[in-house]
Amino acid sequence: MSHTVLVCDDAIFMRTMISDILGQAGFEIVGEAETGSQAVEKYKQLKPDLVTMDIVMPDMGGIDAVREIVKHDPDAKILMCSAMGQQALVVEAIQAGAKDFVVKPFQPSRVLEAVQRVLG
Amino acid sequence: MDLSQYAELFLAESREHLSACNQLLLEWERAPASPVPVGGLFRAVHTVKGMAATMGYARVTDVAHRTENLLDLLRRGSQPATDDLLQLLFRARDSLEQAVELSVVGREDEIDAAEILADLDGAAAALAGPGGRPAPAPGPAPAVEAPAVAGRLVQVTLRSEAPLKGGRALLVLKKAQALGPVRNVTPSETAFESDDFDGRFSFRIETTAQAADVERVVRAAGDVEHLTVGGEERRAPSPGAAPGAAQAPDAKSRHIRVDLRRLDGLMDLIGELVTARGRLNELAAQRRDPAVDDVAIQISRLSTELQAEIIQARMTPVWQVFDRFPRLVRDLARELGKQVAFRVEGKEIELDRAILDELGDPLLHLLRNAVDHGIEAPAERRSRGKKPEGEIVLAAVRERASVVISVSDDGRGIARAKILERAKRDGVVDPHAEALSDDQLLRVLARPGFSTAESVTSVSGRGVGIDVAMTRIRALGGSIDIRSQEGKGTTFVLRLPVTLAIVRALIAGVGAERYALPLTYVSETVEFGVQATTTVEGREAIVLRDRVVPLVHLRRLLGVTGDAPSRCPIIVLEMGDRRSGIVVDGMLGQQEIVVKGFDAPQGTLPVFSGATIMGDGIPALILDAGGLL
Repeated sequence: MSHTVLVCDDAIFMRTMISDILGQAGFEIVGEAETGSQAVEKYKQLKPDLVTMDIVMPDMGGIDAVREIVKHDPDAKILMCSAMGQQALVVEAIQAGAKDFVVKPFQPSRVLEAVQRVLG
Repeated sequence: MDLSQYAELFLAESREHLSACNQLLLEWERAPASPVPVGGLFRAVHTVKGMAATMGYARVTDVAHRTENLLDLLRRGSQPATDDLLQLLFRARDSLEQAVELSVVGREDEIDAAEILADLDGAAAALAGPGGRPAPAPGPAPAVEAPAVAGRLVQVTLRSEAPLKGGRALLVLKKAQALGPVRNVTPSETAFESDDFDGRFSFRIETTAQAADVERVVRAAGDVEHLTVGGEERRAPSPGAAPGAAQAPDAKSRHIRVDLRRLDGLMDLIGELVTARGRLNELAAQRRDPAVDDVAIQISRLSTELQAEIIQARMTPVWQVFDRFPRLVRDLARELGKQVAFRVEGKEIELDRAILDELGDPLLHLLRNAVDHGIEAPAERRSRGKKPEGEIVLAAVRERASVVISVSDDGRGIARAKILERAKRDGVVDPHAEALSDDQLLRVLARPGFSTAESVTSVSGRGVGIDVAMTRIRALGGSIDIRSQEGKGTTFVLRLPVTLAIVRALIAGVGAERYALPLTYVSETVEFGVQATTTVEGREAIVLRDRVVPLVHLRRLLGVTGDAPSRCPIIVLEMGDRRSGIVVDGMLGQQEIVVKGFDAPQGTLPVFSGATIMGDGIPALILDAGGLL
């Protein structure tokens, strides 16, 4: 059975691209979230094997969403999606419980590597 | 990977974010101390940056990045918005917009952002305070052995091309912690948060695991180039190829974006279906076969539903066009030294995309006129006992089968006396007329070149664009009305059909021809020959509930020979305050018609707005209510 993924990003563009990269590699995208609070809610509801999480989102940011999700499920596998220059935020996200990160602009090979590491 | 397939999505979404930036900047300008807008601005610009970087648009990324930097400083410092900062941010937003648009069409090299980049950096440096941020000190290699502590010493060098090395280093530590306690991290973990961290670090780990196991675990964190464990050095294998991305069937997708042309194509097909349905209904009526009737009724119902669905899919909220106006009004007001509070109402009202797309320019003309010629300068307003700040309202409301959009200002209104002189000279009104009605006023204003022909100071420019706006709106099957009160302000009212593609129409017969009259503006029908006629201002008219309705005999207008029946229907059209009764030979019923544009031959009366194909395959012309009124 293929792994299930919840894609969280406020940009449809990013969600589409991540979904395409992971979808083509055989993952099943089971849900998308546009805000941190949506991500938390959908995580609880869908229990995906993997979450890709944007850091900057309206409503609730990605890092707070990681904290909430990890509180609910300490084994949650969350991959942060960050931009260049967000070192401090990435560090904070990892301390909050994110398992790995990828940096925009995305290269499909790097995204898949990171996903393998997280699921490994 | 092929990125071109994402270009449209990138463009659409970037535009949305940049439009939001305008709203946020305006909001910030109104409430300079509010911390909310800058947070939103930061997020919007940040999102555009991420998308642009992914698309490989380096210049967009650059402009976005520097704008984001400045916004970040403002956000962190809870800095209130100053006028200079806002101007700079407005400019940065505009540059970003231009860069996005050019990049998408492959003209990235035309982007000239040097000036705005310099200004952004200058502002950021000024905000960071004297001296700015401390320059990154060329740090000494940090991987120095710490004082001896129990455990294996692990020294790590991350790949030089690895992004955000601090984050990666922290992941290495987290992985290592699974094997045993980690100590003596050098440099300290706080250094990982800095952008200057170069990817070299060391730590001690207390573990019973073999060196090889430690290495395996550490490498699993990714991006490790070089690693020594317990003094035993191992070289990293050359970075391997990406794990085989198996070409699995596409994952299910819940969103689809449809090309507008597809939607238009679908609409055309449904149009043909509606025409065929009309024909089927006629045939069924001739056959009088219940089985055929059943099928005809079913097809009718299905195609009606299909049509409603597709029309719904074409509906677009007006904010998609309205949202760019607040910024525009603000800029224009600034430029002209006016104070204007601009309000938008009914943003969520929906219109057919095809109509909405045509509305931008006419509304722009009207708004520009309102700021330029409607709203007085602050001093003049004060002297007239008004608030120095003028008000302009752009509002949309749904009214039956039409949408009414109004542009109102509380400015000086139009000096009718001056226009009247002009109107008399041009022969627009009777030379003995003493006042201009709103309708006559509009007719004068809408004359092409009205205001440029001669300077009429207090209304100079009033006519500019109104003829253009009026032509556009009429072509969409809509109308414009004006209400103006001297000293109090002016309101333009635009009435538009909700959709263009398929409309319900009355089919009227004149001579051997049939004509379609969209129901949007039909208020009722009465009978000619029963109703008493009278003459008002030299025109034949009927009086309907105390209101005079001038008559237009279509037979005469179209030059159809022969006699009209002695009793025939009058179709009463109503558009705003104007009414008109159209006398036709007979009524042939109501039906949905598919509107096809047509190029009227030279010399055709300006009373047709298009053509349609009737159920029997014979074309009929569509009468333009605006032209008949």
